Amino acid sequence: MATALSFRKALSAPPTVRTLASGVPSAPLVNLSVRSPAGHGHGHHGAVGPRSDLPAKFAGSVSLSTSSGLVSRSFTGAQTSGVTQHRLLHTTAVVKDAPNVPNFEPYQAKSSDNNRALSYFMIGSLGVLSASVAKSTVTEFLASMSASADVLALAKVEVELASIPEGKNAIIKWRGKPVFIRHRTQSEVEEARSTDWKSLRDPESDESRAKKPEWLVMLGVCTHLGCVPIGEAGDFGGWFCPCHGSHYDISGRIRKGPAPLNLEVPQYDFTEGDEKLIIG
Amino acid sequence: MSFANTFYNALVKRNSVYVTSIFAGAFAFGVSFDLGVSSFWDNWNKGKQWKDLRAKYVQDEE
Repeated sequence: MATALSFRKALSAPPTVRTLASGVPSAPLVNLSVRSPAGHGHGHHGAVGPRSDLPAKFAGSVSLSTSSGLVSRSFTGAQTSGVTQHRLLHTTAVVKDAPNVPNFEPYQAKSSDNNRALSYFMIGSLGVLSASVAKSTVTEFLASMSASADVLALAKVEVELASIPEGKNAIIKWRGKPVFIRHRTQSEVEEARSTDWKSLRDPESDESRAKKPEWLVMLGVCTHLGCVPIGEAGDFGGWFCPCHGSHYDISGRIRKGPAPLNLEVPQYDFTEGDEKLIIG
Repeated sequence: MSFANTFYNALVKRNSVYVTSIFAGAFAFGVSFDLGVSSFWDNWNKGKQWKDLRAKYVQDEE
């Protein structure tokens, strides 16, 4: 409370007091220990604050001169305040669009035509490269799915036709499946060809099944559930599947039983001179 | 300069021509790359492959 009182006294003298950011009033350069002139005081007050009835030192002074006695000075142009404020007076600097831009002229293209052609050439080259990469990726991937050389080597089977006498069956293995080769007799051929094939379950003529009438080549896999039929058996003189009782005739066509289709005919060919049969 | 303009006018100006020539170039590049690599391979492995050695052994068999 005492300090507040002393400040209240000081406030009367300087008109310019500012408030600090903390909220404390600040009055710098104020002499708070001004005493009353000699002879006036009683010498027991101590420093309680500046006197409010005296002008500040910057406003004037009283001095004793040997020639003219007591001299009182008052400065008309005196500062109103001992508080100095530093104001940085400035205007906004001119903002340049791109300050300190170096000269790029030596680096600029001499001819825009060359530049354009080079750009398109590089783009086109990248296109060529990526197109061939994509093409070879696809083809190599597809080639990896095709049959390998060892499988292809087993894909064809040659059979000596002279080793199969007339009226006999031969069973060979081709791609893991049995293949029936029947050397048919003349009467069997006539029987197979004279059948009314259009009324069969899977209508197929004997001419379309056998390239040469005396040689019947077909896969020995029952079209019902994949059993291997027995040759020279069944009601039609051809093949008979023991699993579920399908009867095939002498041309391998389904005649009776659960099988839906005729015995499948693989790709086959005869060598020149009819010495060999090539299946596959 | 003139070569650049010729290139631009001949190939690039129409996008259809540009894309077509890119694909044709890819085809030609693929073929020539395959040929080049296999000829390099044959050259590098000269005297080691079966087709180089075949004459020696097949004549012995016959």
